[in-house]
Amino acid sequence: MKTVIETRDLVRKFGEIVAVDGIDLAVSEGEVFGFLGPNGAGKSTAIRMLTTLLHPTSGEIYVSGFNVVTEAADVRKVIGVALQDAAIDPLMTANELIRLQAVLHGISRSEAKERGGELLERVGLSGAATRRVSTYSGGMRRRLDLALSLIHEPRILFLDEPTTGLDPTSREALWDEVKRLNTELGTTVFLTTQYLEEADQLAHRIAIIDAGRIAREGIPKELKENISSPTLRVDVEETDLVQAQAVLDSFGDRRPAREGRAAVGLDGGAARLAEVIRALDEAGISVEHLELDAPSLDDVFADATGRRLEGVEEENE
Amino acid sequence: MNKVDTTTSPRVIKNFFSQTIVLAQRSLVSELRQLATVLPGLLFPLLLAFTYTEQFERVLSLPGFPEVDSFLDFLLPATVLQMVSFGASNSGTELALDIENGFMDRLLASPVARVPVLIGRVGGSALLAGIKTVIIVLVFLADGAQIASGFAGFLVLTLSACLLVVVIGGLSQILAIRSGSQEVVGATFPLIFVMIFMSSAFFPTELMSGWFKQLAEFNPMTWIIDPLRRLMIVGWSWSDAATALGILLLGSVLITGASVRTLHKKLGRP
Repeated sequence: MKTVIETRDLVRKFGEIVAVDGIDLAVSEGEVFGFLGPNGAGKSTAIRMLTTLLHPTSGEIYVSGFNVVTEAADVRKVIGVALQDAAIDPLMTANELIRLQAVLHGISRSEAKERGGELLERVGLSGAATRRVSTYSGGMRRRLDLALSLIHEPRILFLDEPTTGLDPTSREALWDEVKRLNTELGTTVFLTTQYLEEADQLAHRIAIIDAGRIAREGIPKELKENISSPTLRVDVEETDLVQAQAVLDSFGDRRPAREGRAAVGLDGGAARLAEVIRALDEAGISVEHLELDAPSLDDVFADATGRRLEGVEEENE
Repeated sequence: MNKVDTTTSPRVIKNFFSQTIVLAQRSLVSELRQLATVLPGLLFPLLLAFTYTEQFERVLSLPGFPEVDSFLDFLLPATVLQMVSFGASNSGTELALDIENGFMDRLLASPVARVPVLIGRVGGSALLAGIKTVIIVLVFLADGAQIASGFAGFLVLTLSACLLVVVIGGLSQILAIRSGSQEVVGATFPLIFVMIFMSSAFFPTELMSGWFKQLAEFNPMTWIIDPLRRLMIVGWSWSDAATALGILLLGSVLITGASVRTLHKKLGRP
């Protein structure tokens, strides 16, 4: 299949800080590609370079066959971009923004009106088309942002954290729309996200980015399968934690876990659960809570980076 | 690999203009939708002009003061430029806001040239300044002021106001691009305000003395205000019109060029 996004040894430095540190990527036509990583991993810097907004310090990027530095104008014609936080002028209405975006892409007024109407209908904003954006909810803004990025019917769509800060219902609505774009129109989608579920739901293929480097890349299902054993997490009294971890260590490789919790990749899976409980009981440890999870993308992330993505936000608060 | 057509086709030029117009429209509409930020820029200079006229009516009899019927005639160009100084840095702060909230990225990621992005913003403000100039002139005329050079002089004054917006707006855009912060741009407004006070705006340089006189004569605001004022109180003169417009046009071209370069540089390699 044709490669439509390609980077070769992509590097971006800001002074001494290396935000993107040698990334090689190849995204095929019609693919939904997820760039998964925590805040500050380099996702936004990477997507800004891919969308011509930032020049790389070194390395090359080709989008739809065009070099993003030397042929930026051609790249901009074939891509749709919806960046973080749905940057939309709050003083304008959806109709006005659609018209503005259409003119920027050299689309005629009549065509813009027709296509704009269809797009707003599609994202469920027809009723709010003449209202100023300042009256919109977060979810409505994101949907408008998506509609705006589609006005020129781009073959490649870049979405930077499309659902960050959205409630679950709005999030699912947006996912459905992205899936539809991909399956019905064959649009290639490159999205960054810090949500495991989003990457799992949407992406055919993902790359885990951490500290500017790709830590792992592949099809989510295969990545999970490669982490062979399910993760067993055990909550115990704080005083028992060290001992509990020592007991668990004899059942497999230690897995990173939240503070106050012991975890292990349970060799042999659920069949050995009884054995573990017996061992803990014999060691005089009382278990407060216990869970066994099939490998998730979070496990893949933890396996690749030694840290957890899930729950990081909550813990930081 | 696909080859790019870099020739300047009529379509490219047409797009350039329609993009500039739609961006200027956006800038004008968003300024008009925030009347609370537009009105003070119109009211304060007018208020100041009428206060000065009441306070300084007697300076007209000072030897060396230009011959005018009313201090109001003398103040018209200064009032217009002051109005401009209130509004002009708006295009910088609005641009900084666009950068802060990411709207700028939307523009830059679309196939729009960099020039329309910047002059569209300033263009809207310039248009608004033109409208405000008409209002100021009408208020002055209603209060008995006269324009010695007639309609032609009025046109030069209006055009000068628009061009000054391009100059000050361009400068504030450079600051906006470099800092990306509304606060930084907003903080420079007093500088322009003071520049007007330190020029011949409210008092002829002939009647000043010492370092202040030198400063005022060196101040570009004086170079613009003096010929404009002669047009208001003496009569039509091609050279005065050309001086004021020439300086402003040159400034506009240079500063727009500089702001486009600044934007390119900002987007470029570290």
